[in-house]
Amino acid sequence: MAFLEAKNLTHIFPDGTVGIEDISLQIKEGEFVIIAGANGSGKTVFIRHLNGLLRPTKGKVFINGESITKNITAARKKIGLIFQDSDAQIVGQTVAEDVAFGPENLNLPNAEVSQIVKESLETVGLFDAFTQNPHSLSGGQKRKLAIAGVLAMKPEIIMFDEPFTALDYSGIKQVLTQLVELHRAGHTIILVTHELEKVLAHADRLVIIHNGKLAEDGKPGDVIFRAEKYGLRMPLKEGEEISSATWLR
Amino acid sequence: MPNNTIFNLRFTVYCALFIALIIIGGYISIPIPVGPVPITLADFFVMVAGLFLGWKYGLVSVTLYILLGALGMPVFSSGTAGLAILFGPTGGYLFGYLLLVTAVGFVSGKLRPSFFSYLVALIIGNILLYLAGVSWLKFLLNMSWASAAAIGFFPFVIGIVIKIAVAAALGCALLPRFRQAMVSASAQQSNTGDE
Amino acid sequence: MAQITFFRYIHKDTILHRMDPRLKLLCLLLLSLSASLAAEPCHYFVPLFIVAIALFAARLPILALLRDMWFFALLIIIVLVSNAFNVPGDPIPEQIFGTKIISWIKLPDTLRYPEFILQSVSVQGVVAGLRFAGRLILILMVCTVMTGTTSLLAFKNTIEWFLRPIPFIPEVRVATIINLVFVLIPVIFDTYTEMMNAQKSRCVGLRKNPFKRVSFIAFPLLSRTLRRADEIVYAMESRCYSETRTRAEFRTNKIDWLVFSVCLAILLFVIFISE
Repeated sequence: MAFLEAKNLTHIFPDGTVGIEDISLQIKEGEFVIIAGANGSGKTVFIRHLNGLLRPTKGKVFINGESITKNITAARKKIGLIFQDSDAQIVGQTVAEDVAFGPENLNLPNAEVSQIVKESLETVGLFDAFTQNPHSLSGGQKRKLAIAGVLAMKPEIIMFDEPFTALDYSGIKQVLTQLVELHRAGHTIILVTHELEKVLAHADRLVIIHNGKLAEDGKPGDVIFRAEKYGLRMPLKEGEEISSATWLR
Repeated sequence: MPNNTIFNLRFTVYCALFIALIIIGGYISIPIPVGPVPITLADFFVMVAGLFLGWKYGLVSVTLYILLGALGMPVFSSGTAGLAILFGPTGGYLFGYLLLVTAVGFVSGKLRPSFFSYLVALIIGNILLYLAGVSWLKFLLNMSWASAAAIGFFPFVIGIVIKIAVAAALGCALLPRFRQAMVSASAQQSNTGDE
Repeated sequence: MAQITFFRYIHKDTILHRMDPRLKLLCLLLLSLSASLAAEPCHYFVPLFIVAIALFAARLPILALLRDMWFFALLIIIVLVSNAFNVPGDPIPEQIFGTKIISWIKLPDTLRYPEFILQSVSVQGVVAGLRFAGRLILILMVCTVMTGTTSLLAFKNTIEWFLRPIPFIPEVRVATIINLVFVLIPVIFDTYTEMMNAQKSRCVGLRKNPFKRVSFIAFPLLSRTLRRADEIVYAMESRCYSETRTRAEFRTNKIDWLVFSVCLAILLFVIFISE
């Protein structure tokens, strides 16, 4: 069953540039999908349609068979998005308050909010930083905070936009571990990246967007050998298994 | 979901950004080769807020800025705060900011956008600002007009000229793109209305 | 690290830190009001004494705070001098309590300005200056206690609470703006520092044209800041930003009311009791 479906999505910016063109994609529950593409290929524009941040010029997005525009708040609650720039998505003055932002928007009672905040921070292992100023966290911790903020909404699908940007080795490993655990816990993961060598081994499916169009869609093992054509770095050396394309080791 | 939510949210965010810029502007001081007073950028960003946000949201920003300071946050120039500053000798300038942002926003909104009209708006705004500042100084310190102007206006003249010129240039360079972004954001919104 | 030097909140566990921020804000207003109504010396000394106790009770680093106050010291001196010379009134009497003032100030004969100066100074002027200085110091101390003991979060929630009953003011939006300001200041400040370092490494100090200097700061700072706006809007939207939100909870205990009544008593004292 298609769980999240994008149908013929086209986005043309007011100045006439084409962001994405006629992209259709179906994502099943529990899948781990990587959406890859060179810079400026339109992958960020694409996923921002999935939770209704951008409205398509043409086409529609469905979740469980219903158009997301029917109840945009419900859709956004189901589909969490973690942005590339961690600083821009921090809206709280303390770690706890930032995580509370989502549940407070849903107007949940105070006791429930603090319970959710506690759980989310424990999940990502940031509970000790409860009262800290988010600005003083390390890059990896900021990303974890962003994940906790999204988890507090109890989403079914979590989308990551270039989560490895500007992180050091240990930061990348932390985020990657988190990603794999979230997938194991039953979340559907959509990961946008061009750094395939760090994560490809964990994915069920690889989608490549090129110049705003859907170029490839299939099993990582099949698609990966055509990746160089679309300006992506081939993550495997001669004779290497797909399972070696990870930084978790 | 009401249609204008995103539009309001956008202005909410812009107000916050400009208040932050005004506060940080108070901490930035640039030495100028002539004159004893370095330039600080708080009033500069008040002018820019008037140009970019218009009088209404500009006024909201400056009012909140003053409110924060009145309640004791160290937001006024060089980290000073409180009612003490607001009702102290330099308080006239802070109330003058309200006049400045309103005048700049109002006048530049009425005229056709151009370097010249921004210049006119900024000059009118600054006249009001310094009228408020200097007369406050005069009455609080029981000085003559001449000596109040001598400490409250003349040392800043060079800075004022520089700030007005740069603010007008800034308006010319960035405002068209800013306006376009606002329009496309609201157009984005009207798309949703169809569904 | 900008926020540490920027906002002077110092996390401690004292009565004043634990106090209900709504009552604390009311205390600030009561004390500010008493300071502006104060007319006689005792009106200044009593509140000053009590606020000084509060300053100690809050266990704030008083010396470090004093060092930041040079601007106020300057302001106070200007006010004192300006008032002393400009307010018309009687000259300073030559003898106060039977002592000649001039004999207090021992200066070499070549520097015998004081007598001349004292003649142009008026009693009323000095008194007016001292009053103003007292007011300034009192409000300053009250604000120091307030900002030192109240977290920005509590501050924001309090403002929201007080705006709630006022019609036509969207209190949630105001609280959101204030919250964003606090969040954004360190971020923008870091952007600024980074930008300045990049410019310094390219010898911006050699540029003497002040128009250029201001432009080099203003243009990139503004365009970067404005670009940030979109990201923030998207981030807030994707987390379902709504203006019908969970409201903050406040807790008030007896000590809070006690502190509040002390402040109220000060105001009543200033209004009704005079020598």
